[in-house]
Amino acid sequence: MDTKSNPGSASKPGADSKLSFKQRLRDPYFWSDWLVVVAFLLVIVVFGAINPSAFLSIYNLNNILVASAIPAIIVVGQTFTVATAGIDLSVSSILTLGAVIFGICFTKELPVWVCMLGGMLAGMIAGIINGLIISVRKINDFIVTLGMLSIAAGTALVLSNGRPVQIINSGLANVAINEKFGVPYLMYIAFAIVVFSHFLLFHTRFGVHLLAVGGDPDSARAMGVSIVRIKVAVYGISGLLAGFAATLAIARIGAAEPAANTAILLNSVAAVVLGGVSLFGGRATIFGPFVATLLLQALSNGLTIIGVASYYQYISVGIVVILSASLVRNVR
Amino acid sequence: MKRKSSAVILLAVAALTVSSVLPGQAAAKKKAKDVKIAAVVKGLDNPFFIGIKEGIEETALKYGIRANVQAAPGLNDDVGQANKLDSLAGQNYDCYIVIPISSNNLSQAVGKITKKKKTVINIDSPIDATSLAAAGGKVTSFAGTDNFAAGEAGGKDMIAKIGTGKTIGLIAGLAGNVTSAARIDGFKKGALAADPTVKFVGPENADWDTTKALDKANAMLLANPSIAAFFAANDQMAQGISKATNIGTKKIYGVDGIADALTLVKSGKISATISQYPYVMGQMGVQACIIAAQGGKVPEKTITPYYIIDSSNIDKALANNSSRGYFPNQLPPGTYDNPYEKLIKK
Repeated sequence: MDTKSNPGSASKPGADSKLSFKQRLRDPYFWSDWLVVVAFLLVIVVFGAINPSAFLSIYNLNNILVASAIPAIIVVGQTFTVATAGIDLSVSSILTLGAVIFGICFTKELPVWVCMLGGMLAGMIAGIINGLIISVRKINDFIVTLGMLSIAAGTALVLSNGRPVQIINSGLANVAINEKFGVPYLMYIAFAIVVFSHFLLFHTRFGVHLLAVGGDPDSARAMGVSIVRIKVAVYGISGLLAGFAATLAIARIGAAEPAANTAILLNSVAAVVLGGVSLFGGRATIFGPFVATLLLQALSNGLTIIGVASYYQYISVGIVVILSASLVRNVR
Repeated sequence: MKRKSSAVILLAVAALTVSSVLPGQAAAKKKAKDVKIAAVVKGLDNPFFIGIKEGIEETALKYGIRANVQAAPGLNDDVGQANKLDSLAGQNYDCYIVIPISSNNLSQAVGKITKKKKTVINIDSPIDATSLAAAGGKVTSFAGTDNFAAGEAGGKDMIAKIGTGKTIGLIAGLAGNVTSAARIDGFKKGALAADPTVKFVGPENADWDTTKALDKANAMLLANPSIAAFFAANDQMAQGISKATNIGTKKIYGVDGIADALTLVKSGKISATISQYPYVMGQMGVQACIIAAQGGKVPEKTITPYYIIDSSNIDKALANNSSRGYFPNQLPPGTYDNPYEKLIKK
């Protein structure tokens, strides 16, 4: 299966201009691509109606963007792995490992950019190991990355001795707190990564090969695409992005924490599914999962603002994920 | 009931009028019931923080306030917790009660709140002063337990019960955990002060877990049959030790005061639990908020009480029972110092 036989993987959802508006509404792929946007707008409208002064304030919209930035970067990596019919369960612990490496460099008084590269490198190496084992040993993605989840979390604890490292750096804090034209710096960074990844997936040979491996690995192999290379690349990218996100997490909380934060993993998988990426591979969008990330953060933010108790928030987020996924399935 | 509340309002209005008429007096800026309070606690998958949540909500209700208590999405979700506090900071609350997951993760969010000239009260675990200063944040008051002091009291008490020259087995929580380390170090100091000849085995890490503590206690007793007593850094682990094969009538001390531990103290399986009172922390947090909103001077730091609950006072502790699950003894069985309550203007 290549991209041509599958209109849903077109670079812009619903961009096929030959179809009339009515025809497009009946096209299931149109809905699986745009559902997340509709759901996002719905969340904004509903919470905006309940408490406009708090939810729709510039201050709060800014909060949603800040909260979305780190998950959005993780979600890009996750989209790549899911597009090859894989999944990366190790992202949250790779982020933690990256943060711990950053912390170690920082205590050795290395410059911040060296620490950042150190974290990214650690993440990329962990990701490449994932990709190699998955493709060369032909072991299920789920199992390998589940193993890496534990290995990276343990390595982070061993290297840090279980202790957080405080990182006070005005440059990093500046990135985390400040904004330009009402948009936080963190979001510019995340969005740049999203745009670049969109380009990578839909306008390069690498992207075509990636989707081909995801859609039908046997045909892709027959066409001369190296599965090993693609798998190593996507897991490497996922690890690299998690290692980079570690720097932003450090900027945001002012410390390298040794305990893995699994919430970010669940969030990334939910966003990828919500965003209309097929778990069976071969079909992907970058912007869909990005909007889904905004949706999940807006939902959590809105529920907090209207004072819904934390217990119910878990339930509501779960319902939204399952509901959207089943809607997408229904229209298909 | 209705008449009573309207009388209170009348009184409050009268007080407000009087205080505003008299110049130079510290005027109550807000009535207690008009103070808007939000709180962000740690993950609610831990009974301790449920106790704090209940303390905040119920104390607020006593003053006629409905507090918005939110929790981090998970016990380790440090960024998620900062997001929660950010979400609440955009709203019109007078006061924010916070328990940071780590000593740094809420500093920037608190900095933003300070910029808006709102009050932040820190309870349970302190926010690191350096990172707070770097983020331009200010905490008006801190109320929390002194884990070291609680451990120290336990150490002294245990020596008084078992006599001098004995060996004590120590079981700690997660490796590198600050709370566990403070309790264990405090216990050692207290025991050594009471008896310089005391010997220790451990501490062994049992990760706060009942079953792991049981395994560790069995192994420690096999290797060192001379162990006369155990100290565990929490009650769940003390519970595990009480099930060890050769435990006999050896003394076991735990820390926290959870419901199961109180039952075991009553039945004699555990000798004592050094109880802490999360409910009181929540209570003091709310009261500190009210004082600040009224323009009063808030005490900077308060150590919340701990009590050694053993056979001598277990009945009194259980008499405080409520329908709540994990921390039935919401309030200590004796008196404790609450510097906040008396500062609230009616």
